[in-house]
Amino acid sequence: MSKWVSAAFLLALILGAAVLLAFARDDYAHQDRDAIMAPATAQHWTGTDELGRDRTVRVAGALLVGLLGATAAAAITTAIAACFGLLAAFGPPMSAPILMFLSDAFLSLPWLFLLMMARSILPLTASPLETAVATFLVLAALGWPACARAIWRGADALRSSEWVIQGRAGGLKASQLVRLHLVPHLRPLLLPQFLMCVPAFIVAEANLGALGLGVGEPMPSWGAMLLELDNSALLARSHWVYLPIVLLVAVLLILESLTTEVETHV
Amino acid sequence: MSSTSRSFFLSAGLAAFAAISGTCQAAPRQPGEIAWAIHYDPKTFDPAKVDEQASELVRYLTGGVLFRLNRQTQEPEPQLAESFRVSDQGRLIAVRLREGLRFSDGSSLTSADVAWSLRRVLAPSTGAVVAEEFLSPREVVVDTPDKLTLRLHLPKPVIGIAKIFDEIAIEPANRPSEGRVTSGPFTVTGYKQGQYVRLSRNPHYWRRDNAGGPLPYATGIRLDILNSREQEISLFLRGEYDLIDGLSPDYYAILAQKSPRSVRDLGASLNTEQLWFNQSSRAALPEFEIAWFRNKTLRVAVSEAIHRADLARIAYSGHATPAFSFISPANTLWHNNNLKYPHENTADAVRMLAEAGFHRSGTQLYDSSGHPVKFSILTNSGNAARQKMAVLIQQDLAAIGMQVTIVALDFPALIERLLHKQDYEACLLGLSDVDADPSSMMNLWISSSPNHQWNPSETTPATEWEAEIDKQMNLQASSSSQRIRKLAVDRVQQIVADQQPFIYLVYPNALQAISPQLEGVQPAILSPGPVSNIDAIRREQSPQRAAR
Repeated sequence: MSKWVSAAFLLALILGAAVLLAFARDDYAHQDRDAIMAPATAQHWTGTDELGRDRTVRVAGALLVGLLGATAAAAITTAIAACFGLLAAFGPPMSAPILMFLSDAFLSLPWLFLLMMARSILPLTASPLETAVATFLVLAALGWPACARAIWRGADALRSSEWVIQGRAGGLKASQLVRLHLVPHLRPLLLPQFLMCVPAFIVAEANLGALGLGVGEPMPSWGAMLLELDNSALLARSHWVYLPIVLLVAVLLILESLTTEVETHV
Repeated sequence: MSSTSRSFFLSAGLAAFAAISGTCQAAPRQPGEIAWAIHYDPKTFDPAKVDEQASELVRYLTGGVLFRLNRQTQEPEPQLAESFRVSDQGRLIAVRLREGLRFSDGSSLTSADVAWSLRRVLAPSTGAVVAEEFLSPREVVVDTPDKLTLRLHLPKPVIGIAKIFDEIAIEPANRPSEGRVTSGPFTVTGYKQGQYVRLSRNPHYWRRDNAGGPLPYATGIRLDILNSREQEISLFLRGEYDLIDGLSPDYYAILAQKSPRSVRDLGASLNTEQLWFNQSSRAALPEFEIAWFRNKTLRVAVSEAIHRADLARIAYSGHATPAFSFISPANTLWHNNNLKYPHENTADAVRMLAEAGFHRSGTQLYDSSGHPVKFSILTNSGNAARQKMAVLIQQDLAAIGMQVTIVALDFPALIERLLHKQDYEACLLGLSDVDADPSSMMNLWISSSPNHQWNPSETTPATEWEAEIDKQMNLQASSSSQRIRKLAVDRVQQIVADQQPFIYLVYPNALQAISPQLEGVQPAILSPGPVSNIDAIRREQSPQRAAR
């Protein structure tokens, strides 16, 4: 699948979800208590969940929350990784071993427990939106070390390149050097790193949510919706329970394909 | 393969493993043996040192006792004791034993064995939990005028003394055997850590059936140690297990579909699910929030706004009963049948809040100082029914303008906030394994107790009604008159219904699965549920796998 086809699929999914949310009869939190686990009807296209909430609307919401949150978190984590990588490559000689040791130490931390800890110290009054933002910020804050090492390697190779030496000799300031030479040359490295982080963060949020520690109710999220799959009785009652996992897999495959295409062409 | 794919496939792999592991194998069953699962290893087989459920079950199945509490009627019934007499204003108990009693090894059971067992339980070095019920265990004197008579001299009267004997297994004097020599229906004959406990029939058990035949009917019991409901259900359906106690509504639904004859919904259990607000002066909350939570009107309005029938119907698939008191209607001896409680009425809740100075602007409720009424409800993660209730309550309270956020934390983090920091606004939790006698709830209701959840460890009762609860609870704990005790407990139930320090939500129903191959089962709500009359239960010798 070409990257344009993948991007078009993704865009179509995002637009479709946004349109569904904008024009839905009831919002994602609305409970129709007389229609618990209702089957697919003209009113509820994919039925309702255990609390009588429209499954289509909630899946659309989860898709947007997951994709937007993961994209923002991936952008932040890539930026942090770029800063660390560049500092390690262009900073004082001791900075590289120190920063890379830091990054390795970070990688060896039990991140799931850290996430749970970070989530549990959030203010209790945090709204569902704030919990969503906090969840993805925590993911972003913990996700940079793996990228930082790759970016350091790339930036380190650039440091001794002829055009960087020429730029320095020509009197370019550090900021000009970064803007004019380093970022354009590192883009082929940064873009795939960014694209790889997006699905990783979607999966991380889903895992955290499945533990009941992700985005707060009633905001829809992959994690909260996948919790339904833990209930064997529900699986027998409606095949639409599988919709979130099917869509999650589809989104992950599209992102995977997009990443592969970008890696191939840059 | 990228990291994403790896994560995903790892998750899928784990899910597949979870599904496959449902096909586990139970240990082979011996003829006439009854089998079921317990969720963890018993901590001890010493009946005097029991302090958790698995050990308690083994003690129940093996220990011979002077009196047994009938799990249906809640009345004590003589077992090893033939009769007992209380005199000296409840301070002298004389117990007469049955004649011809024997332990499982054939040795005689006399009053000397009973006295030794009681003294062992009362000794502080044993650390028996039941000793506390004698109020001053060190001062209790036991003597044995003859081989069949035992006398207990108590420093002060003890309420429901006969029921206390339900928890004291009689062992051979000076020969503690950790359940291997018993006077109950079974003896411990095998234990493999993490795998099973095997019990065998006591050939010298004292009890006979109506036809004079020996009891127990079952040749033995195998308790598999298995902490997976999925596997337990699967093994039950294959006929490897004969019963399951404490089913969740989800698993009940699965079994009802696959084996409709085996499931039983006994109605409300003794367990409760409740919501409460933090009223502690040491709470890490702003003053205005503490003022809300101490405001009876707000608590009653919240109670009126909650649709308990929806909680029972949706969160428990109909297998729960709306709750308004800390004593379930299943506890027929103690439930207050004349209780007056706030009924579901959203319009009345809105009116009451308006009268108390709260006002609405749009969909949001504000207090008289202009603070929006927003708070969080803390609950534990991993309990699906409880989390569903929290989301339903969130919408119910939105209807009266209260904005609620739900926070699900793992248990250690929850306990830290609840007990140590008191850093929470409202909490939704349940009380399980509730004892039928209200005396067991003293630590919950006495205002000086650290477990007085809404305002722990008060130096003096913060309100008049809490002082009244203290008074009534102490009265019921010290009176030897059942009538006075009942009146006191009724009064406490009414105060709690009026003041709503705990907003009771539902009593989860007692859900059990019992193989149609078992005969003589009298399912009970009180622990140990379906095996309360274990000596009269027999298993058909017909081929297995007939659960369907």
